[in-house]
Amino acid sequence: MTLQKRVWRIIKENKGRYIGILILILLGSFYFTAATGIANNLKKMVVKFAEEYKQEDLTFSTDKPIKDIAALEDASGALIETYQQYDIKLPDRQSQLGGELRLLSLSSKINIPAVFSGRGLENPGDILLDPYFYQTQGLSIGSQIELNGKTFNIVGTMAVPNYVFILKNLYDVLPTSGFGIGIISSADIEAFPESATVYGAYFEDRENINAQTTKLHGLLSEKGYSLSEWLDAKNNKRISMPWTNISSMKSMSFPVSIAFFLLSCLIVGVIIMRIVKSDGVVIGTLYAQGYRRRELTRHYIAIPVLLSGLGGLVGTLLALTCVKPVVDSMLIYYILPDKGINFSALNLAVAVLMPVAFIGLSSFLIIRKILKKTAVQLMKGDEQKSKVNFIERALRLDQFKFNTKFRIREQVRSIPRLLFLVLGVSAASMILMFGFTFNYSMDVVMDRGALARYQYPLEYNFKEVQNLQDGAIPEGAEPYNAFRCYPEGRESVEFYLVGMKPDSIGLKMNDMRGNALSKDQVNITYPLASRLKLKEGDTINFVNKLDGKSYSLTIDGIVQAYGEQFVYMPLDEFNHMTGQPFGSYRTVLSSHDIDFDESLLAGVMDARNPEAFEDLAMPTTLIVASVTALAVLIAVIIIFLVTSLMIDESRNTISLLKILGYREKELAKLILNSSTPAVFIGFWLGLPLMLAFGNNLYGYVAEITNLVMPMIVNPLYVLISFVVIFAVYEVTKRLCGKKLAKISMSEALKAGSE
Amino acid sequence: MFLSVSKLTKSYNTGVVTHVLKGVGLEMERGQIGVILGPSGSGKSTLMNIIGGVDRADSGTVKVDGQHITDLNDNQLVEYRRESVGFVFQFYNLVPNLTVAENIEVVSNISKHPFKIDEVLSAVGLSDKKNRFPRELSGGEQQRVSIARAIIKNPKLLLCDEPTGALDLESSRDVLSLLQKVNVQFGTTILMITHNSAIAGMAHNLLRLRNGEVAEVTHNSELVPAERIEW
Ligand SMILES: Nc1ncnc2c1ncn2[C@@H]1O[C@H](COP(=O)(O)OP(=O)(O)OP(=O)(O)O)[C@@H](O)[C@H]1O
Ligand SMILES: [Mg+2]
Repeated sequence: MTLQKRVWRIIKENKGRYIGILILILLGSFYFTAATGIANNLKKMVVKFAEEYKQEDLTFSTDKPIKDIAALEDASGALIETYQQYDIKLPDRQSQLGGELRLLSLSSKINIPAVFSGRGLENPGDILLDPYFYQTQGLSIGSQIELNGKTFNIVGTMAVPNYVFILKNLYDVLPTSGFGIGIISSADIEAFPESATVYGAYFEDRENINAQTTKLHGLLSEKGYSLSEWLDAKNNKRISMPWTNISSMKSMSFPVSIAFFLLSCLIVGVIIMRIVKSDGVVIGTLYAQGYRRRELTRHYIAIPVLLSGLGGLVGTLLALTCVKPVVDSMLIYYILPDKGINFSALNLAVAVLMPVAFIGLSSFLIIRKILKKTAVQLMKGDEQKSKVNFIERALRLDQFKFNTKFRIREQVRSIPRLLFLVLGVSAASMILMFGFTFNYSMDVVMDRGALARYQYPLEYNFKEVQNLQDGAIPEGAEPYNAFRCYPEGRESVEFYLVGMKPDSIGLKMNDMRGNALSKDQVNITYPLASRLKLKEGDTINFVNKLDGKSYSLTIDGIVQAYGEQFVYMPLDEFNHMTGQPFGSYRTVLSSHDIDFDESLLAGVMDARNPEAFEDLAMPTTLIVASVTALAVLIAVIIIFLVTSLMIDESRNTISLLKILGYREKELAKLILNSSTPAVFIGFWLGLPLMLAFGNNLYGYVAEITNLVMPMIVNPLYVLISFVVIFAVYEVTKRLCGKKLAKISMSEALKAGSE
Repeated sequence: MFLSVSKLTKSYNTGVVTHVLKGVGLEMERGQIGVILGPSGSGKSTLMNIIGGVDRADSGTVKVDGQHITDLNDNQLVEYRRESVGFVFQFYNLVPNLTVAENIEVVSNISKHPFKIDEVLSAVGLSDKKNRFPRELSGGEQQRVSIARAIIKNPKLLLCDEPTGALDLESSRDVLSLLQKVNVQFGTTILMITHNSAIAGMAHNLLRLRNGEVAEVTHNSELVPAERIEW
């Protein structure tokens, strides 16, 4: 049909515009598919593994073996697994890297291993290894490994739910190189009599885990067990690391992509509306020649449907190829059984069909509305005529110079177009500034965060509370005591209450103005204070996560800090308040290495090795680069679309101005520069939007992961963003300038009646 | 001679070659009114566009106030139009989103010694409508705005392509008498295209075009006031 040929001709006539629209739709679908795909696949792998293989909710050790496990299980409503663990340094001839293997006894109720390759344990002497250890040590299934004189047959590799991220010590930050885990049968582990007993608990009731944890703690304490290395899954990095990734991925991309997706659909709807509207006379003419409403509707809907279908499809397909590498790179440090990528058919359908439905429907409604008019009405060209809108009518511009008046009028001529430009530019600026701010905030956290506050670089954490009366701490080291708590009624906010000696110097504590704070008082870090909306003189009520006891403290000072959530108080008062013996401590900060008995330690943090603190940092330069590219792309498309629309809508005026003797440069200034204020406003609107968006996002991430990230705006980066946006604007104007030059004077000479 | 056109030719090639102007000549003194008459397609607009510097001839010369228009390059033509020529079109060609006053400013904005807007507005009798938009005016009023826009820079030459082509008799008389007034008051040389031979009475010179050729040249010494034109 000839009408169908016309569709191609229309598209060809304005190639640039349709490519721009296509990219916008494509980006929307791409983001939707990629974000949901990544989040769902991460979730599938991590959550499913946790559920199906019964990941522990809690790990702990006791001073003496728990006798009646079954009774305790009944009383606490938990599955409690006892297992043995024993660390063995590999003999040099067997290991190229000086490896160390932790043997774990096979568990049956919870933390069940998932076999990767090979088979499970069947015969005495069988061993399953974690795949990284297996790989780095260059081992193979069927071969043997000798451990302390005993030979084991390697039968396969596995993943265990309580060692998704393989950390040697519970409070370690980074994996120890060469360290791995192996699983052998309970009978086999008896060959290592010095092995330690560790417990894991899994609550059958999946609600109120915190309360159940506290209850179990109470039950065990009542029975006289002294508990150490008591750690819930949420704070156990071996388990929680990938969860952090999922929630930040989900929170960062899901709502963003949906918002972005809807925005791009909306923008496209606006443009298609204008295209169809400006075709009013053609529609009327065809209509008059006997075309049916349905045929014409089909004709006009072809372009939006074609564009949105193609954009949706290409965007989705591109996203499909991206999900696996991204998921793989996010999971590279984690040991999870199934790394296969799946896509939800529903999400794919939504990604492909949503733009079609959205754009198709809006176009359909517009076309319908126009087609309801009679052919005569349409042919008069009323649709094309720009009615003077209320803003144009209300504007009194007498005091301005002509060029200013002209530019203002050019902009307000179409409110949707202006809105599109302003919002589009603010979206692009927002993305750009968010990328920079994210990067800068990370830098600040690195430079001035926890690391910068440590005057003493070494932190020794003991498994159990120690006492100064049993032995003094060496010179250049200080005792601290701490426990984890949460504010009354807000379990998602977790922090440490720390007791420290008033004369401590290991930890720098400045107030918000940079003056040193007294350590003989209650101080709260700024991120925690602002999360809880507390100021000096306020009272904080909180609960000890371990035993559920409530306390309250009045805040004396606020500590300048980034991302850290702590409340500090004098050590003696801390011990007194919590009913611990005078002189109790759990952590030692030190200026130098101290030779503590390693079996007493739960972990050592070394601030001399800053990488240990970078678990928060993602590949930020990559993020900033891609975010910048995205922002620039969006800005180019939006400014190009608006400018080319504007030129098209002003063809007659432009042609007339040429006849009247306007020079090319004057015309370019008049028409192209008219968007400058809108771009300017759009940019500055982007800043508060970015802050609102960022704070919201970080608030959400904090609620789920308890990680507080600051948003620190650096004026330099705002300036850079400004320059980038205006550079894009200038370049895009240049491109459109050619279009301006092409408009010939004969258009106005032949123009029909306005 | 203020305006002299000689041996002007122009043809279009759209597969077949159409000779639109076949050696047209025309002469006018400063301050005169000239009218070009002729059937549709005879080449009236083409001739006027070449004189106005918005189109180019294939051969022949156009001289306006001593300046050889046909020798100018594109940039020089822009300057020529800007300095010397005023345009009035059949369909007014006002900028729809600018007010009456602003439409006139479009031209005063780029001219060296423009008249005052209010003076021109009162000359065309639209002082009370300066803040209206073109759509809110009648056709005759719109054409008066377009004349105001053309004369605000006090052009040497005012070119009007069927200025009354879209108007009824009443409005046409208004517009024509306004043009006559402009001619008398400012001494502006006016060249006007029309289909309507009744208008010929108000011109000093009459040029009849037929098929791209001059069919007749007449000179009037007695001008009919526009108010008395009938058709
Ligand atoms: N761009 C063009 N390409 C080809 N032919 C053209 C072009 N412009 C004008 N013509 C032809 O030139 C001839 C003269 O056109 P012109 O517009 O000068 O006529 P006119 O006398 O002004 O007619 P009207 O009274 O209808 O306005 C016409 O036959 C027209 O078809
Ligand atoms: Mg004509």
